[in-house]
Amino acid sequence: MNLIQAFKMAFKSISSKKTRSFLTMLGIIIGVASVVVMVSVVSGQNRRNMEYYEKMGDNKVNINANSYTGQDMDQILNDFILRLGDLVVGITPNVQAWGSEMIIKYGAKSYSTQNWENWEDMVQVVLGNDQYGLCNNYQLGGGRELSYLDIKNENSVCVLGGGLKEKLFDYTNPVGETITVNGMPYLVVGWYQGKDVEYSPELDNILLLPYSLNRTINKNQTISSWSVKASSAAATTQVITELDGFLNGMFPKDENGMRQGGDFYVGSDNKWQEQMQQASLMQTLVMGGIAAISLLVGGIGIMNIMLVTVTERTREIGIRKAIGAERRSIIVQFLIEAAVICGIGGIIGIVIGCMGSLIAGKFLLQGMILWPTQSITIGAFLFSVVLGILFGMYPAVKASGLQPVEALQAE
Amino acid sequence: MLITIKDIYKIYNEGKESEVRALDGVSLEIDRGEFVAIVGQSGSGKSTMMNVLGCLDVPTYGEYWLDGTDVTELSDRQLARIRNREIGFIFQGYNLIQELDALENVTLPLIYQGLSIFEREDRAMEALERVGMADRAHHRPSEMSGGQQQRVAIARAIATHPPIIMADEPTGALDSRTGQHVLEILRTLNREGTTIILITHDNSIAAQAHRRVRLSDGKIISDERGEEAAGA
Repeated sequence: MNLIQAFKMAFKSISSKKTRSFLTMLGIIIGVASVVVMVSVVSGQNRRNMEYYEKMGDNKVNINANSYTGQDMDQILNDFILRLGDLVVGITPNVQAWGSEMIIKYGAKSYSTQNWENWEDMVQVVLGNDQYGLCNNYQLGGGRELSYLDIKNENSVCVLGGGLKEKLFDYTNPVGETITVNGMPYLVVGWYQGKDVEYSPELDNILLLPYSLNRTINKNQTISSWSVKASSAAATTQVITELDGFLNGMFPKDENGMRQGGDFYVGSDNKWQEQMQQASLMQTLVMGGIAAISLLVGGIGIMNIMLVTVTERTREIGIRKAIGAERRSIIVQFLIEAAVICGIGGIIGIVIGCMGSLIAGKFLLQGMILWPTQSITIGAFLFSVVLGILFGMYPAVKASGLQPVEALQAE
Repeated sequence: MLITIKDIYKIYNEGKESEVRALDGVSLEIDRGEFVAIVGQSGSGKSTMMNVLGCLDVPTYGEYWLDGTDVTELSDRQLARIRNREIGFIFQGYNLIQELDALENVTLPLIYQGLSIFEREDRAMEALERVGMADRAHHRPSEMSGGQQQRVAIARAIATHPPIIMADEPTGALDSRTGQHVLEILRTLNREGTTIILITHDNSIAAQAHRRVRLSDGKIISDERGEEAAGA
């Protein structure tokens, strides 16, 4: 008996026992589909988190430092950062305007910095230097960044965040236009592309001014927070260590644990990112475990249905042996039959899993296009096929070893 | 001789208290072209006899020569070949595969023989025609009467043109008229040269054979020749 014949026979057998074949497939379909959906939802969630942190700015070190003795921390930090060389890509003061409300106007359009009822329209005024965009992961959409001269001369210029630019100018070019902040004119020199982070419109509703205006805006000359962009994740850790050591030396603790001369904080979002990564790894393992159990249950279902039909198949095997089938051809036939059933079931499971992933992405992850990972899909498929083949072949291997008369006597 | 068995024993649970000697030292010779009935009450060992003769089961002890070959020495694979080419089986319970239609059931032994699809179909149809079942070729066993199923089973047995046909109570589940029809087919096959071995408990059916071997408690108690009532 050749292979084509064996395939034909297997298909014949499958199609003539539709209910049983379907029930066998069902275990595989459900198992594969659930593994695929669960794993892709978890990995989609992870991807979303990572994207969020990337947009927030990765490899970013945040510094807060206050000198009680009035030292120029900006100068000191800039000098120190310079010594770190290639570890650092840039540094910018990162100051938020605080205090009284500011009204930003262009033509008839007006936005407030304290519009708490409508926080999606609330503007955040920030102060920085020419490296603000670089350090905080903003991409220029048009125009230019702030310049050294803008800062030195305390020019009344500004760079708009993507969200604010859209609110004030729609899709027209804002560069060269003048807006007012509490009535004072500011020339728009550039604008950033929107980061479009879910639930964080404030990231795009920024108005960046030269930090030298701190005195006018915040009624205060001292700058106490900075962002440093490190060149890599490894460099981030090193920069934190260096800064920590440096500032510890500057503001040592006394015997009561109180800092002398000032206070500081150095940290990075990478830490959160790592924690998040770890948490999502746990999540993947837990969800993967649940999915694996469902696959196993599916496998037991296959095993069950295959074992239930052992006697029925045993008799068939007896008949086949009596009319001249060799043991080998019987095993080959059952092998192909099981492989075809499980293969079809696995493919249906993958298709349902892909659709399920898309649906889950749409409803659970805010319209994310979610496709299952290849390795998981193939893994789940192979697992169920192997399981199905093993248990599907069990009656064949067992019964084909019997004398034909014994197999025929199976009730 | 086509078939020679010598001191065949088939013993279940040997050495234990529940030991059963289904065949207890049986010797028999069957020549080409014979129509032999193996007769006995239930439990006499006649079915075991057919299973051993048909290579469906192996004897515990004894020699079995089939057409000059020592069957007891053969491998599983060679035995499958003998069942496929040398012997056609007809069972009391028909033993058709329920999921296959008549034609497919008859084609099955031809598939295991490795024939081409055209040859298979031709020979299967030819066999179905011989038993008058050609018009039911695409019916499944469940859509046929017992007599029709048995005729399909006969077609399956003769499709490979085996030199020997073994029938185990072929009329057991049939009414007497249908049973006679089945026996008529067997007689025709025998006239064409096929050796027929018929297992039955029914003396009136055994009477239609040319030779009757009577079994009791696993032993041959008589071996008569002559067509008793065949013509009557």
